[in-house]
Amino acid sequence: MMLLRLITWPYVRKHMLRCLLTTAGIVLGVAVFVGMHTANQSVLYAFNQTVDKIAGSTQLQVTAGETGFPEEVLERVQSQPDVEVAVPVIEASVQTGLQGQGNLLVLGVDMTGDRSLRDYDLDKADDAMIDDPLVFLAQPDSIILSEQFCQRAGLQMNGKLTMQTIAGPKQFTIRGVMKSGGLASAFGGNLAVMDIYAAQMVFGRGRQFDRVDIALRRGADVNAARSRLQTLLGPGLQVDPPSSRGQQFEAMAQIYSMSANITSLFALFIGLFLIYNTFSIAVTQRRSEIGILRALGATQGQIKRLFLIESGIAGLFGSLLGLGLGVLIARGIAGYISSYLGEIYGVAQRAEEVSADPRLLGIALFLGVATSLIAGWIPARSAARVDPVKALQKGRAQVMSEGENRVRKIAALVMLVLGIACVFAGHKPFFFYSGYMLSVLAVLLLTPALCIWLSRLLRPLMKWMRPVEGALAADSLLQAPRRTSGTVAALALSVALVIGLGGIAKSSFEMIREWMDTALNPDLFVTSSESITQRSFRFPFEFGDELRQVEGIEELQAVRTARIVYQGTPVMVVSTNVERIASRVNMKVIEGDRETMYRQVSRGEGVVISDNFALLRRVDTGDMLELLSPTGLLRTKVVGVVSDFSDQQGTIMMDRELYRRYWKDDTVNVFRAYLKPGASQSDVRQRLLDRFGAKTRLFVLTNGEIRAFILKITEQWFGLTYVQIFVAVLVAILGIVNTLTVSIADRKRELGVLQAVGALRNQVRHTIWMEALAIGALGLMIGFALGAVHLYYILEITKRDIAGMRLEYRYPIGIALTLLPVMLGAALLSGAGPAESAVRGSLVEALEYE
Amino acid sequence: MILLSHLQKVFDGKSRVRALDDVNLHIRKGEMVSLVGPSGSGKSTLLNLIGTLDKPTGGEITLDGQKLSGLTDDQLTQVRRDKIGFIFQFFNLLPSLSCEENVSLPLHLRGWSRKQAHDRAIELLDLVGLGKRVEHLPDELSGGERQRVAIARALSVYPPVLLADEPTGNLDTTTGADILGLVRDVHERLGATVLLVTHDRSVAESCPRTITLRDGRVVDDAVRTVSR
Repeated sequence: MMLLRLITWPYVRKHMLRCLLTTAGIVLGVAVFVGMHTANQSVLYAFNQTVDKIAGSTQLQVTAGETGFPEEVLERVQSQPDVEVAVPVIEASVQTGLQGQGNLLVLGVDMTGDRSLRDYDLDKADDAMIDDPLVFLAQPDSIILSEQFCQRAGLQMNGKLTMQTIAGPKQFTIRGVMKSGGLASAFGGNLAVMDIYAAQMVFGRGRQFDRVDIALRRGADVNAARSRLQTLLGPGLQVDPPSSRGQQFEAMAQIYSMSANITSLFALFIGLFLIYNTFSIAVTQRRSEIGILRALGATQGQIKRLFLIESGIAGLFGSLLGLGLGVLIARGIAGYISSYLGEIYGVAQRAEEVSADPRLLGIALFLGVATSLIAGWIPARSAARVDPVKALQKGRAQVMSEGENRVRKIAALVMLVLGIACVFAGHKPFFFYSGYMLSVLAVLLLTPALCIWLSRLLRPLMKWMRPVEGALAADSLLQAPRRTSGTVAALALSVALVIGLGGIAKSSFEMIREWMDTALNPDLFVTSSESITQRSFRFPFEFGDELRQVEGIEELQAVRTARIVYQGTPVMVVSTNVERIASRVNMKVIEGDRETMYRQVSRGEGVVISDNFALLRRVDTGDMLELLSPTGLLRTKVVGVVSDFSDQQGTIMMDRELYRRYWKDDTVNVFRAYLKPGASQSDVRQRLLDRFGAKTRLFVLTNGEIRAFILKITEQWFGLTYVQIFVAVLVAILGIVNTLTVSIADRKRELGVLQAVGALRNQVRHTIWMEALAIGALGLMIGFALGAVHLYYILEITKRDIAGMRLEYRYPIGIALTLLPVMLGAALLSGAGPAESAVRGSLVEALEYE
Repeated sequence: MILLSHLQKVFDGKSRVRALDDVNLHIRKGEMVSLVGPSGSGKSTLLNLIGTLDKPTGGEITLDGQKLSGLTDDQLTQVRRDKIGFIFQFFNLLPSLSCEENVSLPLHLRGWSRKQAHDRAIELLDLVGLGKRVEHLPDELSGGERQRVAIARALSVYPPVLLADEPTGNLDTTTGADILGLVRDVHERLGATVLLVTHDRSVAESCPRTITLRDGRVVDDAVRTVSR
């Protein structure tokens, strides 16, 4: 401790900016890790809170994914002796038309029985109405709102609220206001309650319920009751406690976690190099100090511990800052993630509160400190090995020994060989991830050697650009590969991260565009919601017959999309006349015979699955799928696999008849309309709206609008990727600033000599600028190569572990070209400060600097 | 050649240090002068001021007829570039550059062509007796050889003024004597004005004129005849 106070603290005080820059990598790595995970957890927490609050005293819930189930299930549940109360529920996310208020989560409940499960805690209510639920029911426009929502929207008791229904906008009367807290605070207070039969009507659910909430008799064993109910209802209906909905949601949010982990890991890795770099330079700069300590009796162990404690403190400090920044980041992106998941999955939740999980903070803190200690280990060892005699000789610089360099090269080559071997060793996760780590480590270990080779290559060019300054800058890089390589490695990692993220974005966008060109080719889409991902409202199948009468429509294809739970994860079922669809669209077939597979599906003899479903669930053509439906287990054969981007969790395409038979659901979400040759898109759309707009909730979207929506959703998904790219570039810039700052400090005397022998200020500036540019160029060159490897692995991870998307390898040349000016510009800017400090300082001090 | 009038240098830190106090000197063209005095007497400060590495707090320096006060940093660099050669105690060679590159560095900074700079560097390295070690790096040379390279670099443009700060301070006696011989030789052959800071009495006495500083003031200015 005494050594820390006497030796470390004065050094830190003197080099405060440098120390702060050093911890920047750790700060950002920890911040991204904490930020992304906290945001995810907060959204999940908010969702669970909503589920809890809505569940009230519900102990078990009967569900069938998104498809709902027939009313008779309720009677079967109620007939069970364990069941005290069983009430039906319909849940819908509805637009109100009130600006800035967001969607309302509408619960359709049976008011006669529901109040024994949920406490509405009515603040102001028309007593006559609520005390007698029958009267409330008799008026199907009755609605109960939360006090919070009423206050926000300026609504009052007995006031009117317009909501979207299947028959278009409809006015409801507020006949009850729930006090804030409890149920009323679910979904951030954006909650409405109405009668279930009215809800069936206004949301077009027919005679279906979304779920049944159950309270058991006092003393009944929940697990036993659950198992009895499950046996009674069969496998097609799920009987679970309310908390299980959170687990499904967690599976959806997992994609974000995985992507966040990779970025955090890279950021921490970058931080590791920044710390390693700075500590290596610090050891060189403080060699005389170390020599004095050794001469005064300090042991090698004491010196090593001193530097390790320093790096541990830097890690701790950086991690603590990172934790704070992470929580701030989480606040910023929690809303973003929840709105995205809401849009894609129609899941109602709002992350109002962001609070970090202490265990997560603990892991982040450990990662930050451990990274820092690992980074500090080699410099600490070098410090301990400093020869006190040489260290006390003024003017003797230490350079990286040939031996150390050789060991690195050999280690790198061994890792490279092992990494390549892992690629061919099979698809087991151990080999795959080991290959990934080994390849990245090999490139990083080769960085010092690569820096020397590439600097030699760059030297003539730099010399040609500016004979003196260019040569001096190149020589500075050649002279101190250790100093340069740490930053170049950090920079290369950042570039590789950007190339990886950019490559995924490019490949996804291009492949989604190609898929849209082939699969989404109808001229118009008639939907019951503004967005095709919302399935709260549905059309009756017969509505298609009326639509077909509209002049200009050549063919109409009815499609019902619904999310069902497959092996604990929600996946998408697309039921339609598959043969008709196949005659119009030409989806890329991955497995199976195009001619026969659609015919088999049309005959109800099997299903076609999407590529991502096949990869994520490890299913191939010929395998049997077991799908849970409200009427029982559907065992069906996979007859083909196609490239389809309809859903992140995967799609199962089946014949409409088969779906109707098992799910007892004859509704439609979307009608795909192909127009007659020469028919105008806008005319037909207008005709549809004129004819049906007034009497039914109907949206007619053009092909262009649907494509724009999908691209917007994709763009939204990559929104967080862009945040990660920004972090990567930021870390890279910090890395260059850090290196140049320490590099200039390290070369203070050299730059002083340069000025003493006649270099003008501008010449010194140009030397530093060129060095900065060269570091940028080296980082870009190595980063582009590392990025190519990283992209290969990240695409594989996306395929096998994240989204099951078989994305083609497409190097993001555009992004790489954009990075050129960005990184070189950043390098040049980073060099500006150090260059100025080099020319503004005292020459006499610089010449005496040791 | 070098005229100092009422020169002052004060360092403001935790305590105010008057490094030079009212120094008046006149060093004529072609003179070889040693500057002596105990540690902290202001020798190096005076050398730095004359070498335009630092600026005085008061007074005036006139170098080869040109007043230095009021000049910008770049103008001072131009003066240093054209008129002054430096020899440091710790050589201050750039470790990544060869002997030839170290010597030609100031010439490149002046925009000389590669060939011109190379030819001059070789000529100077020959002059200091290192004609066969042009491609060596400083780390591959002995202390004396490094100082020879430093002297060659200081002479690269044949400056009229040569400033040497303890040029033999980091060398053994024999090598120090060699270097001193070389400096004297350069002084005689090129006619440069040499100002040499030293602690070593024998080095000081080998110069025809010795100026002694104490507490920032000139306390003695002795001229002698030096035997060759």
